[in-house]
Amino acid sequence: MNSPPIVRLSGLGKRFGDGPFVLEGIDLEAVRNDFVSFIGPSGCGKSTLLRLIAGLTPHSAGEIAVDGRDPDSAREGVFLVFQEANLLPWRRVAANVELPLMLRGDSPAGRHRRVAEMLELVGLSGAEGKYPWQLSGGMKMRVSIARALSVAPRILLLDEPFGALDEMTRHRLNEDLLDIRGRDPFTAFFVTHSVAEAVFLSTRVVVLSTNPGRIADVIDVSFPYPRRAELRETPEFLQLLARTTHSLRSVLPAG
Amino acid sequence: MKRLPLWSFPVATGALLLALWYGVKRALHIESFMLPAPHEVFAAAWQERRTLLASALLTGRGALLGFFSAVAVGFLISMIMAFSIVLKRSFYPFILILQMTPVIILAPIIILWLGPNTPSIVAITFMICFFPIVANTTMGLISTDRHLLELFVMCKATRLQEIRHLRVPAAMPYFLTGMKIAATLAPIGAIYGDYLAGSSQNGIGGIGFMTILYSSQLKTPALFATGLIACLLGFFFVVGVSFLNWLLLHKWHDSMVGKE
Repeated sequence: MNSPPIVRLSGLGKRFGDGPFVLEGIDLEAVRNDFVSFIGPSGCGKSTLLRLIAGLTPHSAGEIAVDGRDPDSAREGVFLVFQEANLLPWRRVAANVELPLMLRGDSPAGRHRRVAEMLELVGLSGAEGKYPWQLSGGMKMRVSIARALSVAPRILLLDEPFGALDEMTRHRLNEDLLDIRGRDPFTAFFVTHSVAEAVFLSTRVVVLSTNPGRIADVIDVSFPYPRRAELRETPEFLQLLARTTHSLRSVLPAG
Repeated sequence: MKRLPLWSFPVATGALLLALWYGVKRALHIESFMLPAPHEVFAAAWQERRTLLASALLTGRGALLGFFSAVAVGFLISMIMAFSIVLKRSFYPFILILQMTPVIILAPIIILWLGPNTPSIVAITFMICFFPIVANTTMGLISTDRHLLELFVMCKATRLQEIRHLRVPAAMPYFLTGMKIAATLAPIGAIYGDYLAGSSQNGIGGIGFMTILYSSQLKTPALFATGLIACLLGFFFVVGVSFLNWLLLHKWHDSMVGKE
């Protein structure tokens, strides 16, 4: 890999007000089409790290460069998928997916085409006219992903997007997410509590320790894409799962 | 046992209350100018129908004008206060002070300034409707979900886009709650305004004015009939706003969906 990094964090630190540092000394480089997962105990600053890359909150120390610029001005081409689906309840599915396109001033015809494409991509064709309350949790998340992908982001930040879903739905969405990424590549930063999810999806798993959040371990996952559901049952996968779990256990606070 | 339809309960209660009314009047030998029988009230309503209808329309007009100006001005002021901390800090205390001053005291001052009849009636209605709309709408505009706001930041939305596509629609339920409260107050405000500032043209004034007239003439059944009309006027307002509420929310808001 010798392409220039699309995201570079060096000595990155974050504190809220005068409080203690929640993140400290984070050094990380990601190249185009990397899939980096962050895993760690609650309160290790995983979500904060995503919000820093998204430019939603300013950093307190070190440097952060997205495409060589500061995240606030690099936001074009970066999109965040939130923990909850975060849909506007008064907008139908199609109008929710369309929102980012409308806000940036795309033509209605172009928007319409793109929305249809995106809904097909996430397997929700036919649900255009539904309101969010009519959807299941998994379907809402699919809408949220379709909305994020509608702007064809180069960098997609996903903050525990499947945390509230049952395991079967989560597996399906993991597979579909990789499938979508195979067709429409993007660089991903993914926060999760699930080791299996992190290993299945990523090119790299970053284990964070807590108080303050630091990088404790980086595990390379070299399984080639496309990855299929069967990968989860291979000895190599299970071995890496064990190794990652072990690494995570070593940073868990006692108790 | 077969279950009774839902509408039968209020109808039965109503019948029971009417029976009680007749019973009390007969048992205590109450004269009609003190307590008319229900049928006397309906007879008076029929007899005075032209007068009552005209006065209901007159008062209704005042209530509508006051209500809608309160909605429009209230919404505008809420927008201004929601988007400028400085303006909110500057004005909110005085809006509160105005609200704390009873309309009963403000009304004569308003009449002194605006003269009798419609302008004063509208102004009094406005005063009484204004606060619930401002309080609720402002609250709605500043309680937008933090994550949705961040979504709009990620979309690089302008301030105007954020207001139009996020804050205003999200505040709609609050705004409508303010309107519901104002709708119950508007007829009261207009009748009270008319009571103080109304006058008659050819013997027909607003509901407030007719109340004074009928009571001075001891036309008690007509006085009761006036109450009936005022009650209908109130219903008209509440039903109107409830319909608007349904129209704007029934497809998506938690209070409405999933009940079918």
